[in-house]
Amino acid sequence: MTTWPSPSGIVVSARGLTKHYGDRAALNRIDLDLGRGVTGLLGRNGAGKTTLLRCLATAHDPDSGSLEVLGHDPTTAPGRARVRAQLGFLPQNPVFYPNFTAFTLLDYIAILKEVGGRRARHDEVRRVLDQVGLTDRRHTRVRRLSGGMRQRLGLAGALLGEPGLLLLDEPTIGLDPEQRIRFRDLVSEFAATRAVVLSTHQTEDVAAVCDRVVVLDEGLVVFADTPAALTDRARGRVWSLPERPSTGSTSWRSPDGRYRVLTPHGAEPPAGYGGIAEPLEPTLEDGYLLVTGSAEGTVAA
Amino acid sequence: MTAWHLTRQQLDDYADGRLDHAMAMSAEAHILDCPRCRAGVPADPAWIRAGWAELRDVVDRPRASLLERLLTRIGVHEAAARLLVATPMLYRAWLLAMVVVLGMALATAYNVNGGTLMFFSLAPVLPLVGVALAYGRWVDPAHEFTSVTPMAGQRLLFLRSLAVLVPAFALCLVTALLLPGHGPGWAPVAWLLPALSLVTGSLLLSRWVPLIMATGLTGTVWTGALVSTVLHHESRFAAAYLFTPPAQALYAVLLAALGTACIAARARRA
Amino acid sequence: MKLFRRARRVPDYDARSSDAELLSAIGAGAADALEILHRRHAPWLGARLRYRCADPDVVDAALQDAFLSIWRNARTFTPRTADGDAAAWIWTIAIRQLVSALRRRGNKWIGDAALESYEPVGDASAEDLVLVGIEHGPLGAALNNLSPELRLAIQATILDGLTVREAAQLLGVPEGTVKTRVMRAKARLREQLT
Repeated sequence: MTTWPSPSGIVVSARGLTKHYGDRAALNRIDLDLGRGVTGLLGRNGAGKTTLLRCLATAHDPDSGSLEVLGHDPTTAPGRARVRAQLGFLPQNPVFYPNFTAFTLLDYIAILKEVGGRRARHDEVRRVLDQVGLTDRRHTRVRRLSGGMRQRLGLAGALLGEPGLLLLDEPTIGLDPEQRIRFRDLVSEFAATRAVVLSTHQTEDVAAVCDRVVVLDEGLVVFADTPAALTDRARGRVWSLPERPSTGSTSWRSPDGRYRVLTPHGAEPPAGYGGIAEPLEPTLEDGYLLVTGSAEGTVAA
Repeated sequence: MTAWHLTRQQLDDYADGRLDHAMAMSAEAHILDCPRCRAGVPADPAWIRAGWAELRDVVDRPRASLLERLLTRIGVHEAAARLLVATPMLYRAWLLAMVVVLGMALATAYNVNGGTLMFFSLAPVLPLVGVALAYGRWVDPAHEFTSVTPMAGQRLLFLRSLAVLVPAFALCLVTALLLPGHGPGWAPVAWLLPALSLVTGSLLLSRWVPLIMATGLTGTVWTGALVSTVLHHESRFAAAYLFTPPAQALYAVLLAALGTACIAARARRA
Repeated sequence: MKLFRRARRVPDYDARSSDAELLSAIGAGAADALEILHRRHAPWLGARLRYRCADPDVVDAALQDAFLSIWRNARTFTPRTADGDAAAWIWTIAIRQLVSALRRRGNKWIGDAALESYEPVGDASAEDLVLVGIEHGPLGAALNNLSPELRLAIQATILDGLTVREAAQLLGVPEGTVKTRVMRAKARLREQLT
């Protein structure tokens, strides 16, 4: 029935994808090809991350452009049905019925996802509960679960039915460091055979689990490559200075008392500090700041 | 506690059914008293796991609510029962409001001349309000999660509407039967055809606009018809025209048309 | 329904808890305690039931029913020994479920009437005690010399603690036959031992 995984390994393919909210273009003629493994969507609030995920999740129809998810066109009714059958979606800040227990809620979602008969469905619910470490809480009502637990419950809901594509909108919000590591583990394991697209504010998440990173800014794709390539964008542009430079760069104070400075326009030390500036090893965050132009945004300050 | 224990060999032989009768009986008598030897009886781990999986399926499933059990008892599929019970939070508020409004309509009918018309004017709209609150982003907190599942959309909407319409129609019918009795024999169900037409029209419209808007539109049509009839005849009793046999015939035709359109739209989609 | 739910506190338990502790947790609705109990008792129960019924499917079904019965009746267990061991109680349930499974299977028209109480049938009889350590004595040889029918009758009534009626159902013979077989078996044993 399904053509996925396609021979080329492409799971999501978008051409000229556009979505407006009123006058504002949340997605502005985006071209994107995503394959198996984990893709991280980075960008500030309103950059279009959630809109893109919701388009992939069949929750929104794009205004124009073509979109193919798991080999089907989600803008047609039959295509949408096929995509939904293989989809796991965790919305941002998922809300559930507070009086349901974790088990009942997942059972409910599993019914909506048309997972097997009762027995197979319950076994599937137990499997995902175990995966997110909520087995002990399976009979606890949702309103008694902590924020992190609800987040994991949402993740469990997305994992139900072994989807071919997992779409996670800000999945690590509310997770403590230990849970975050467990989450990364889970996602990496899942992505070994399938595809995950997650949006996040956390560059550490991207560095830890993502095979690819897509940076969105004002509805445009400003970067799409490996995390290492994003880090490389900042190579030679990160410096350590003894004092805050007056112009031409983004800077912040490091714990050692020196200033970490980004020079967006060239691989030269900040003007006037030629002799004293020491080059630093760039991080993913440096690369992110450079490609989104955030490094320039603060220049005037 | 006994002083002797079965050997590993004896335990393995016992578990494999290789002991002779006397030995087996002896081993059994001993095992019953000796936790150590009992724990030593070997068993296939896969057999234990499968046995527990079977048991767990019965002892560790979410509790079905009373309503859910009732639904399964009358033949509703277990999965459908769970979906029916999982109605958005406003459902109960709507049910309560429905009881209150119908009670008021009943009081009006007994105390005001021609007050039964209030009930008949309201009855087609009340189920509609329930349907409006049954599905969609504005009323279902988990909508974002559930709306992208294969079951979402029209199927879930129809199921939820059913969960609304059955109690709504039952309540309306009970109220109608409690009204002060005048009018022809079919009077207690005079509201049914308009109500069904409005609901079917809304469900059809919901293919193109959000459900809440669809119900708003059809509700407005009904209110408009009501107001214009009253204004046209310059009498508040004129609302009765909307329930006369010719009007009923019109509703029947309308309902048939809307129903056909619904089925056609569904078939085309599939 | 909220209305009918009693506040039940599940007592603490782990894999080292006694049967009595586990049963009290099971009685409060802890499915995980039943898993521990199942892992602990299913091996020997399965082995022992297989000595009484050659059909593994019937044995498995009886064992499942036994644990479901334990799940529902855990609260009726009263420990008889200080260590809270429930093996004898569980065995009584299991063997009766086997009887019931065989009856359902063989005579569908009997239906599955409610089982009699799960209280163990009496204390270990004199014969029972003799059976412990049987294999070295002359009783062992005597037992092995018994014809299968007589031995099974002894096994069902004495070792398994079944009533004559239950033994008749297990063995698939009339009650009168069980009684005569037990009498003949005892006579034969006495004969061989003197």
